[in-house]
Amino acid sequence: MTDLLTYLIRGIPIGCVFALMAVGIVLTYKTSGVLNLAFGAQAYVSAAVFYVLRSDDYLGWPMLPSFLVAVALVAPALGWVLDRGLYRHLRTAPPVAKLVTSLGLLVAIPSVVKLLLGSGAKLRPPGLASESVRSLGQITVDDNQLVTVLVTLLVVVALTVLFRSTALGLQMRAVVESPRMTELAGVNADRIGTFSWMLSSFLAGLAGVLLAPLFAQVSEVNFFVLLVAALAAAAFGRLSSIPLTLAGGLALGMLNQLLAGYLPTDNVLATGLRPSLPFVALFLLLLFWPGLRQPRHAADPLAGVDPPPPSPVSAIRTHSLTVATRIFAVAVVAVFTVVAMTGLDDFWLGIFIKGVIFGLIFLSFTVLTGLGGQISLCQAAFAATGAFATGQLVSRAGMSVLVAMVVGAAVAAAIGAVVALPALRLGGIYLALATLAFAVMFENVLKPQEWVSGGTRPPKVPRPLIAGISFTSDRAFLLLCMVLLAVVAVIVVLVKRGTTGRFLDALRGSETAAQSLGISPARTKVIAFALSAAIAGFGGGLLASFEGRVSYDANFSYVLGLVWVVLVVTMGARSVQAAITAGISLFLFPRILELVPFLSQTAAQSIAFVLFGLGALTYAKHPEGIVEFQTRRSVQRIVDLLARGSNRGDAQPAATDAPAPVLATSGGPDT
Amino acid sequence: MGKRWVVLVAALVVVTAACGNATDGNGEAKGSSSGAGGPTGTASAADLQKKVPSTEVGVTDDAIRIGGVASKTNALGAPYDQAALGAQAFFDMVNSQGGIYGRKLELVANRDDQMVNNQAEVQGLISQDKVFAIAPVMSLLFTGADTAATEGIPTFGWNINQQWTGPPNLFGEKGSALCIDCAHPVQPWLSQKNGFKKIALLTYAVDQSKICAKGVTESFKKWPTAEIAYEDTSIPFGATDLSVTVQKMKDAGVDLVVTCMDTNGVTTLAKEMKRQGVNAPQYLQNGYDYDLLSKFGDLFEGSFVLTGFTPMEVSQPPKGLQDYFTWIDKTPGAKRGELSLAGWLSAALLYRGLVGAGPEFTRDKVVNAINQITDWDADGIITGVDWTRAHTSEGGDYCFAITKIEGSKFVPQYGEPGKPFLCLSPTDPNLNPNPTPQA
Repeated sequence: MTDLLTYLIRGIPIGCVFALMAVGIVLTYKTSGVLNLAFGAQAYVSAAVFYVLRSDDYLGWPMLPSFLVAVALVAPALGWVLDRGLYRHLRTAPPVAKLVTSLGLLVAIPSVVKLLLGSGAKLRPPGLASESVRSLGQITVDDNQLVTVLVTLLVVVALTVLFRSTALGLQMRAVVESPRMTELAGVNADRIGTFSWMLSSFLAGLAGVLLAPLFAQVSEVNFFVLLVAALAAAAFGRLSSIPLTLAGGLALGMLNQLLAGYLPTDNVLATGLRPSLPFVALFLLLLFWPGLRQPRHAADPLAGVDPPPPSPVSAIRTHSLTVATRIFAVAVVAVFTVVAMTGLDDFWLGIFIKGVIFGLIFLSFTVLTGLGGQISLCQAAFAATGAFATGQLVSRAGMSVLVAMVVGAAVAAAIGAVVALPALRLGGIYLALATLAFAVMFENVLKPQEWVSGGTRPPKVPRPLIAGISFTSDRAFLLLCMVLLAVVAVIVVLVKRGTTGRFLDALRGSETAAQSLGISPARTKVIAFALSAAIAGFGGGLLASFEGRVSYDANFSYVLGLVWVVLVVTMGARSVQAAITAGISLFLFPRILELVPFLSQTAAQSIAFVLFGLGALTYAKHPEGIVEFQTRRSVQRIVDLLARGSNRGDAQPAATDAPAPVLATSGGPDT
Repeated sequence: MGKRWVVLVAALVVVTAACGNATDGNGEAKGSSSGAGGPTGTASAADLQKKVPSTEVGVTDDAIRIGGVASKTNALGAPYDQAALGAQAFFDMVNSQGGIYGRKLELVANRDDQMVNNQAEVQGLISQDKVFAIAPVMSLLFTGADTAATEGIPTFGWNINQQWTGPPNLFGEKGSALCIDCAHPVQPWLSQKNGFKKIALLTYAVDQSKICAKGVTESFKKWPTAEIAYEDTSIPFGATDLSVTVQKMKDAGVDLVVTCMDTNGVTTLAKEMKRQGVNAPQYLQNGYDYDLLSKFGDLFEGSFVLTGFTPMEVSQPPKGLQDYFTWIDKTPGAKRGELSLAGWLSAALLYRGLVGAGPEFTRDKVVNAINQITDWDADGIITGVDWTRAHTSEGGDYCFAITKIEGSKFVPQYGEPGKPFLCLSPTDPNLNPNPTPQA
C-alpha cells in the first residue's frame, strides 16, 4: 500500500508535465480550431531563446529579463505572426487543413531557429528555479519540479475561469465556431483570434522554458516527443475540457509510474507497454472515449458565403489539349530517361532513383487522402512494413525479391486494413491522431523486435532478376523503378475512375447520402486504407532493394512520415503527377539548392526543410496543391490563348473558376 | 472492376514467376580482398618523397584527394564536424613535412549527411568528388557502408556502427569489429577492484540498448565479481522521469550503475539519483566528452569513464598524442576531444596505409598494407590493433583506459606513467590486469 501511494505521488510531477503540454494543445484547439502539432516547435523557440539569453555560453542575462523576453515577448509575438500571417486566413478552413498547416510549421520552425540561433548543442538548459532538493516524506523533488506543478495548476485554474466565467472566454470559443456570426454580434473576431493565438503561444513559451531542464539539451525533438505523449491527456479532455485534460495528464503520469513500479522490468510486456503507454492510451481513447467516438463538427452556419473551390484542370482542358499534354508528358519522360541513361553520374542517378521510389510511395496518399479524404500519419510505418517483410522473406525464406515485395505489400495491406478499423468511426483530426499513435507504436514496439526488423543490422536485400535480366546496375534499376511507378500510377488512375474511386468520392461528399445509395462506408474505407498501405509497402520493399538493406531510421521514422504528409499535401494530394513531383522534389530540391554559390551544404539542406514546411502554408490558399494550381493556371492561359487565337464563334469558351460538381469531376481523367 | 483485378493479379503472377535475385556481390569489394593482390612493404624515408605518375582515381600530380562525411546536422547538436578538423590537423602535419610521394594530402570534401543521407553522400564522395579514400566518416547512421565496401575504396572513421564490421576496406579508428553483446571483462574487473557488489543495469527498451544490456549481463555471468541487483531494460526512450527506477535501485542497495543510454538518459538518471541521495557512481561507456563534463561534471562526480585511447590528461602523453595536441591547437575551429581525435586517428591510419603501399600506391595496395599490420597504435594513442583480424573479431586481450570524474575533470586511474592501458585476458577467470605501455 505504501508503495502504491508512493508511486502515485511520484506520478504527479511527470503528470503535470504531460498536462501542461496537453492543456496547451487543448487551449489552441478551443480557441482556434487548430490541432496544433507545432505547439512543441513553438515551445522550442522560447526554450532556445531563453537558453541563448540566460546561458553563460551566450549572453548570460539574469533570469527575469531572460524569462520576460523569451516567454512574455517572443512567444506572444510568434503567436501574433502566426495569426496575422497564417491562421487568420484559415479560420473557416476544415480542421484537417489546419492540421496540415501546423505540420508544415512543425517542420519549418525548428530549422528557422537553428539558422538564426545556431545549431550547436545547447546543453543543460537552465531552469526557472534552483535544483535544490526538498523532501516530502519519502518523496524528494527539486524546486524546478515544484514550480512546474504549481504553474500547471495555476494555468489550469486561470484557463478554466477564463472560459467559464468571462465574456472574453466565450468570445474566444465563439470565434472558432463562426467568426462571421461573432462579428454580427458586434465582436471583433480578428482581434479575439489574435489574442487567442498570442495566449496559446505564451503558454507554449512557458512550457518550453519550464520543461527544457527535463532534458540534457534544448532540442525540438524532445518537445515533439513530449507533445505526442501528451496527446493522450488532451484526448482524455476531449480537446475541450481543461480540468479533464489535467486529470488525463495526471492519470498518465501515475500509470507510467505504476507500470515502472509493478511490472517486471525485463519481460516483453514491460518493454512493449511502458514505452508505448501514451500511444496505446491515445489509441484506446480515440476508439472508446465518449465524446471522441462521434466528434462534433462545429459547422460555421455562414460557411456557404465562402467562394467555392476552383474547378479541377480536367474540367477546363479541351480534348485536344489533353492529348497534347499527354504527348508532352511522354516526351519529357523520354528525354529524362535518355539523360539519366547517358548523362548522370552515380550520385545523381541515386537521387533520381530515390525520387522515383518515393513518388511511388507517395501515390499511397493519392488513394487515401486524395480519393478517400482521410489523413494518415502512418504511411511511413506501412512503407517500413513492406520493406521489413521484403528483407525477411528474401533472407529467411529465400524468396525472389520481387515476389517478396509483392508479399510485403500484401502484409502492409493487411495491417492497413486493421488500422482502418478506427477510421470506421473516426474521421478528420481524430483519424490523424489515431494513425500517429499507430506510427509511434510501430516505432517503439514492433520495429525493435528482431523478427520484424532483422535486428540492428538488417539482412541484405538484393536487386531483382527478371527473366534473366539483372537490375544490379543503377541505370537498369532506374528503368525498373520508372516502369513500376507507371504501373502503380495506372492502377491508381483506374481505381480513381472505377467503382472504388466513385464510392470514395460519394463518401467524401456526403457519407449519409452515399449510404442511402447502398454504398458501404466501412468496406470502402477499408479498401482505400489497404490499397494505400499496399502501395506504400511495395515502395518500401523497392527502396530496400535499391539501398541493399532496410534503413528504418534513415527512411521510415514517424517524424519523416510527417514531412511526407506536408510535402504531398502541399503539392496536391489528388493528383498523380503531384505525388511524383513531391517524391522527386524531396531529394532533388535540396541538391539544387546546394548548387547555389556561397551556400553551404548544411545551410542548403536546412533552407530546403524550411521551404518544405512553409510550402504547407500555401495549402490555405490552394488546398488543391501547388502542382494542381500551377497546372490549372498554365492550362487556363493556354485555353485563353487558343480562344483568342482562333477568334471563331465555335471556339470553346474559356472556362472560368466556376465550380464543377464534385461527383462529376473527381472521377474524370487524372490531371 | 473485378475482371481488372484478376488480370492484374494474373499479370503479377506471370511477372513474378520469372523473378529471381540478382547476385552482384553486393558488399563484396570491387578490388582485391584482404590478403589478395601484391605484397606490400614499408616505404623507406627516401621512398616517401619519390613521386611516381599515377592514374589512380583521386590522385593528381600534386595531391591525393580525400573526402569525409559526418552527421554535421544532427538531433543531438553534437559537433561531429570536429572529425574533419582532426583529420585536417593530421594532414597539415604531414604536408608541413613535404607530404607523401611528392603529393599533398588534401581534404577536398567534408559532406553533411544530415543523419539520413549517408548513402547518397558516400556515393557523392566516390562519383562526384572522386576521392582516393574516404576519411573521416563520423555518421550516426552509416548507411553508405555497403556502397563503400562494394567500391573497395579505403574508408576510415569513427566506429560506433556495426556496419564497420566485416569488409576489408572499412577501418574503424580503433578496429572495425563491434561485439556489443559479447562479455567484456572491464565492468567485472572494475567492480572487483573497487569492491562494488551490487550493480544496477539500466537500458532503454530499444534494440541497440538491449543488445548492450545483454553484453553487460553476459560479462557478470562470466566473471561474477558482483551481482546485478537491479535491472530495468524497459525504460522508454526519452524518459524524463526515473524516480521509481531510482527508488528501486536505492531499495536494492546498488553501489555501481551501468547504463546503455544516451546523454539525456544518463543526465536524467544522475539528477534523480541526486534528488534521492543515491551516491553510487555511474560507469559511462561513452562519457569522454568535454562538453558533457563542463556542463554536467557536478552530477557525475565520482563516475568512471571508459576510453579506448590514452586519456588526454595523462602525465606523460605519448608521441602521437603530443603531435595531436600540437596540430589540433593550430587548426582553426578544432577542439581537443574524442571526436577530433577520431578524425586524427582515421587520417593517421590512412597515412600508414599509404606508407605501406609504397610510391606506386593504389587503393588495393593501401587496403592490403593496412590489413597486414599487426600492431597499429598511432604512436601510442591507442593500444595495438591487429588488422589481420580486427575486421571481424575483437579478439585477443581487452585493453582499455579508465578515468574518473573528480572536480569536473577527467582523472586517469589505474594506469602508470607511460603505461596508461590495462589489458585483461578474456580467458583469465581472476581478472589480473596487465599494464600496457604506450609505444
